[in-house]
Amino acid sequence: MTSTTSQLTTLFDNATLNLIERMRLRPNRRLTNRARGEHLSGKGGSSTDFADFRDYVAGDDLRYVDWNIFARLRRPYIKQFQHEEEMHVVLLIDASTSMLFEDKLLRAKQLAAAFGIMGLHNVERVSAYAIHSQQGQPWMLPPGSGRTKIRKLLSFLEGVQGGGSIPVEKAIETMLRFHRGRGIAVIVSDFLTFGDISRPMNLLYSAGLEVWGLQVLAESEINPNVQGDLRFVDSETQDTLDITNASELLNVYQDQRIWLQEMLHSMCRSRQGRFMSVSSAQTLSSILFDHLCRQGWVLR
Amino acid sequence: MKWPGFVNLFGAWFLLALIPLIILYFLKLRRQKLEVPSLALWQSVVNDQRVNSPFQKFRRNLLLWLQILALCLLVLALMQPFFQADAEVAEYKPLLIDCSASMSATDEATGKTRLELVKDKVREQIDNLTGDQRIALFSFSNTGRRLTEFSNDRRALTKALDALQPTDLPGKLDDVLRMAAAYTRTFPIETVTIMTDGNLPEQVDFELPFSLDVQRVDMGGPNIGITEMSARRSGPEEWEVFVRVSASSVDLRGAELQLFEDGEQKQSHQVEVSNEESDRLVFPVSTSQVKLLEARLVPAGFDSLAVDNSVWLTLPAARSLKVWVAPKLASWRHAVRVQPNIELEESETGEPRGAEYDLLVADEDGVGSAEAPVRLFVGVVPQDLQELIKVEEDVSYVVDWNRTAPMLRHVQLSDVQIGEQPKLAAGAATKDLEERGYEVLIDGNAGPLMLQRREGLSVSYWFTFHTDRSTLPYRVGFPIIAANVVESALKQASLSDVAAAPTGVLPPISVDGNRTYTIKTPAGESLATESNAAGTLDGISASHVGRYDVMDGGNLVTSIGTGLLSGIESSLKPVEELRFSELTVATDAAKQVDSDQPFWWIMALLAFGVLMFEWWYFQRARGAMV
Repeated sequence: MTSTTSQLTTLFDNATLNLIERMRLRPNRRLTNRARGEHLSGKGGSSTDFADFRDYVAGDDLRYVDWNIFARLRRPYIKQFQHEEEMHVVLLIDASTSMLFEDKLLRAKQLAAAFGIMGLHNVERVSAYAIHSQQGQPWMLPPGSGRTKIRKLLSFLEGVQGGGSIPVEKAIETMLRFHRGRGIAVIVSDFLTFGDISRPMNLLYSAGLEVWGLQVLAESEINPNVQGDLRFVDSETQDTLDITNASELLNVYQDQRIWLQEMLHSMCRSRQGRFMSVSSAQTLSSILFDHLCRQGWVLR
Repeated sequence: MKWPGFVNLFGAWFLLALIPLIILYFLKLRRQKLEVPSLALWQSVVNDQRVNSPFQKFRRNLLLWLQILALCLLVLALMQPFFQADAEVAEYKPLLIDCSASMSATDEATGKTRLELVKDKVREQIDNLTGDQRIALFSFSNTGRRLTEFSNDRRALTKALDALQPTDLPGKLDDVLRMAAAYTRTFPIETVTIMTDGNLPEQVDFELPFSLDVQRVDMGGPNIGITEMSARRSGPEEWEVFVRVSASSVDLRGAELQLFEDGEQKQSHQVEVSNEESDRLVFPVSTSQVKLLEARLVPAGFDSLAVDNSVWLTLPAARSLKVWVAPKLASWRHAVRVQPNIELEESETGEPRGAEYDLLVADEDGVGSAEAPVRLFVGVVPQDLQELIKVEEDVSYVVDWNRTAPMLRHVQLSDVQIGEQPKLAAGAATKDLEERGYEVLIDGNAGPLMLQRREGLSVSYWFTFHTDRSTLPYRVGFPIIAANVVESALKQASLSDVAAAPTGVLPPISVDGNRTYTIKTPAGESLATESNAAGTLDGISASHVGRYDVMDGGNLVTSIGTGLLSGIESSLKPVEELRFSELTVATDAAKQVDSDQPFWWIMALLAFGVLMFEWWYFQRARGAMV
């Protein structure tokens, strides 16, 4: 990725941006606000997308009577069009210290930007929250819609440098105190937390947000190459853990990592959400245009 | 199950070094710090049940455990552990080593003698001596010999052991056990160990004051040897020489038996014997002069024991038995005259004319200056017994007699009537006679009727009653008694039978009195010895098979030879048990010579191995760290 003045953002190049702009989010449920928006929801809307026919009843707007059918059948039928309702896309980017390893935060910001751009292009209300405890850095982007907001979103994400030790579950609860509106909550994090993640998941679900969990792990976390007697230091809390013969424990480590992924996947699925784990070493293109498409997260 | 013992129990105090070892281990344990994004996954790894299994916990501190193991092994080595042998562990251990002739039996495969095998085992015991233990070495053949005092000086013990050589003597335990028993007064001896091949007499005349640990070495190879050699006069100048050959193995063993006369081979026979059946061969020899014979066995195959392959025998010069009988003893003169090869001196006087005879038959105590190895006194009470035995004018009769005495063999005396009554003095008893060297051969109703006394090579008989005043001359037994006394004289003069002398002590040799002679032994040694007043050389040690020359200055006086002549030794067959006065001790074949086995060096090697492994593991773990 080259950073030139002609580029719209430092997160990815314009070519990638063009591809992203053509993509659409594909939520499992239609969790939308009743407020008018551009997200097609149920029948009876005023959009141009046809949905169904129904019998004419007194008081119906005559403009929606299908006169072609009336001419053939001599009976009035009302054409119904899909609603265009407002859907929230909440981006929650984990920018704690643990995300500062091996381009994890960069990949998280790129993915969040991609989801945000897709939402804004689809006239969804996109808001963003960054999980960090650094003073002077932006931590919240209020909900907004329209393509004009793309610049703000990218600036917000570019301004997030990360740091601190706020756990992801606590950050979700904090976010929910500010957010109102149904839609999708995209949580980009490593989900490496000692806390209970099921409670914030429940809160998101009850708030009408479909949980999309995107775990970003560094390659050293997926395939750690450690041996001998080591003292591990937590990058966030500076806690230590003595490990003897680390190479002997790698099998157990992998089991635990896979178990964590399965547990998160199960949590999201049970709340009609999605979950995927990617490596920060993977290219953005392969994640966006291959994995996410094949998993049905987005439409091209 | 026997637990191992420890020589140095105080070494266990070094286990306290475990405390600083553990403390230092944890103080010195430096782990490389590695920053990770989050400990969440690693914490769950540590909390995993599999990681917390006891084995995994053990592996986590493998270095510490290896160090503890190495230290424990080193401390164990320092405590000098040893496996206890079957023999009790005693501070004072007398070792009685059999050096009899059979110990020189050679094993065909290894070429080692039994004594060398025993010496190897003893050397092992000496090497394995623990701090408090003392060993005293004894050797024994027909007598015992102390080699060392109780000592833990390995050098001195080994030196004494190395100098030990097998003898040509049969084995006998009595003497050496008495020597060991003497030590029980000054040392707390619990067990005496005998290291032998088991070729010992079964019966041992000894009361054991300690327990006996008889340890046997393996049997030697096959053996064939001469176990008997004797000669009997068959004519005035004719001898029949008998040689018995025995073997130790079940299979027939062949050999050539050669007979040498004065060093020149004259005859030979082929023999085949097994341990089931020995062979007795007869060689006719004609000689009127003194002749030294040697029977030499040349085995056809491997022979385990060489020392029993030759035996020496001296044939005396041929002559008639020189006899003097008192003129008054007509019945005795008549009875003696009819015996063959007799030169009876016809003398009208009451005293013999010559100075030396083979047999004197007298009716009074003194017979002038004449000497004879066999003397018979008729109607005489020995001078020194006259106060104990009185002859009264009364009738007496025979109550009992010694039927096994050579003088009274084949004689019936129960109906003999005697017109005199030899009577023991009041208060005197047979015991008093025995204390003065007399043996009662015939007991009368009031006192001894016949006495016997041995003095050196000579023997004297006394009829305390006069035979002419009894019915004895009219009995069949009388000529038999006369024949017996002649036979006894013939034997004393070696005129009828001679037997080869076994090793041990040379038989008495008649020479000039009070004169110094030199004995040249088969081993090449020269022993100076002095004859007694009676002209006898006796008590000369003969520990080797072979010819002994008696030299007077540079002149050869006579030669005499010896042989092993022991069926027990030649058979190489061990006894299963030794019978003592009150108990029996088994000589178990399975119970091989055994000793305490120290294994501190194994502990030290293991400790070294553990240290090496620990070093490798440490280097590997350190080198592999990220």
